[in-house]
Amino acid sequence: MLQYTRFEKARIIGARALQISMGAPSLIKIPKDVIFPIDIAMLEFKEDAIPITVKRVEQL
Amino acid sequence: MPKKSVSAKDKKEEKKTKKQVTEKPDESPIKKTPKSKIEKEEKKKSSETSKKTVKKSVKKKEKKVKKKSTVEEISERKKEIVLPKKIEESKERREIRSDINKILKDKSLSLYIIDDIITRVTEDKKLKTKLKDIISKTLAEYEKNFIDPAEACGIIGAQSIGEPGTQMTMRTFHYAGVAEINVTLGLPRLIEIVDARSIPSTPMMNIYLLDEYKLSADLAKDVANQIEITNLNDVADIEADLTNLTILIKPDTKTMKRKGSKIDDLLESIKKIKKIDAKIEKKKIKITLDEPSYKKLLNVNESLKDLKVKGIDGIKRIIIRKEPEEGYVIYSEGSNLDKVLEIEGVDPYRTTTNDIQAVGRVLGIEAARNIIIQEAYNTLMEQGLNVDKRHIMLVSDVMTSNGTIKAIGRHGVSGEKSSVLSRAAFEITVNHLLDASRRGELDTLGGVAENIIVGQPVNLGTGAVELVMKRSKKKGK
Repeated sequence: MLQYTRFEKARIIGARALQISMGAPSLIKIPKDVIFPIDIAMLEFKEDAIPITVKRVEQL
Repeated sequence: MPKKSVSAKDKKEEKKTKKQVTEKPDESPIKKTPKSKIEKEEKKKSSETSKKTVKKSVKKKEKKVKKKSTVEEISERKKEIVLPKKIEESKERREIRSDINKILKDKSLSLYIIDDIITRVTEDKKLKTKLKDIISKTLAEYEKNFIDPAEACGIIGAQSIGEPGTQMTMRTFHYAGVAEINVTLGLPRLIEIVDARSIPSTPMMNIYLLDEYKLSADLAKDVANQIEITNLNDVADIEADLTNLTILIKPDTKTMKRKGSKIDDLLESIKKIKKIDAKIEKKKIKITLDEPSYKKLLNVNESLKDLKVKGIDGIKRIIIRKEPEEGYVIYSEGSNLDKVLEIEGVDPYRTTTNDIQAVGRVLGIEAARNIIIQEAYNTLMEQGLNVDKRHIMLVSDVMTSNGTIKAIGRHGVSGEKSSVLSRAAFEITVNHLLDASRRGELDTLGGVAENIIVGQPVNLGTGAVELVMKRSKKKGK
């Protein structure tokens, strides 16, 4: 797995949480009591289940 | 001495020094112990500053040796002391270094850290077997301390220096210890550094001496006498004889002896004044004018008072102090780096000035970068403000990034930004916008200020991350 910086991690979890909050189905088994979209996205990130990655541009 | 013979001698001398340089370092037993010290010092320098700086100072040294050869009375032994010392690593250290480089492979560690590891390993041989472990641990720790890409390090740096800066007292003039040299410190000094002024308001130098000189009070005094500026008025009485239209100069034997100058030296420098005739008469110097004129006599009298007979321009006052564990160190009010480095007995590797522009001129931009860091850091520390060195290093890097020392602010870094909106956001908005519109400038919206102005996410932190769909294998479900 790619080593993400903390900005990348935040951005990925944020994007996924937005999808979940708008009704996207979760990609892994989520415990019943976890209902907050950001928490779900964080669990998914831990499992490496989020189908999102970053494009690292070589600037300048 | 005829000119030709001098230059020939110079060349010979140069060859000689070069030959000696290439010879093995443990040639002369006298300087064996201090040599390792200097070697260390040099290594430090080479890892901190670029090789360019060292090269330059070595060049400087060679120049110095060259100049010295024209001075006859210097003994062979003294000459050896000023020779440039070659930076050569011991075999043991080199072996460890290559081992480390093998372990590191394509990864990299800072030279400074590697040097540290090598020193530790040479001290304790047991560590050699654990070298792999040490390196991997160091690498992990080193990489953990990396700053994340897209971190807003500039803003954090600005805040980290700015906040303690507000706590500084506005006007601090300070007598540095017993030396009684008046130095600008505190906020005015910090502003001076950041503004990259061409001459600091209180220039001063710390002149360190080479091995032999720093241990002997007399030799240190000699060096100091060569550096400190001495006017004719300081060592002699000047009397104008108005009836005969002559000027008599009576050297004061006591001060002459203290300053180490001779009457011939005085005559030499007096003769540089045009349209006069000077000769020695009974330990006095008699000056007569080429054409008798009362006005001219007064003019000559005036210029004689300020005539420099010895020393280096710009160095006003000198204090010699004996420092523990160091020996004699010369502190000077006023600064003239290039001339002082040419004096024999001065250690060109350690002598510093607070004149940043002079350091940039004489020793190169990397040295200037280092002196900015040092000066700014010391100014803040002196006020009891703990600022992380890396913030100051960033400032220094920005100031010296294009090879010249630029000021922070309108006349330097901020004023030279390529983006119109960024410049307009900083100062004199209307003028910048007007000029840009007249020239038809383009703004690529690369920076922070521009993006805020147009209302886009800034290219920093999470804003710099570009998301894409992951098409490879999916886990779960």
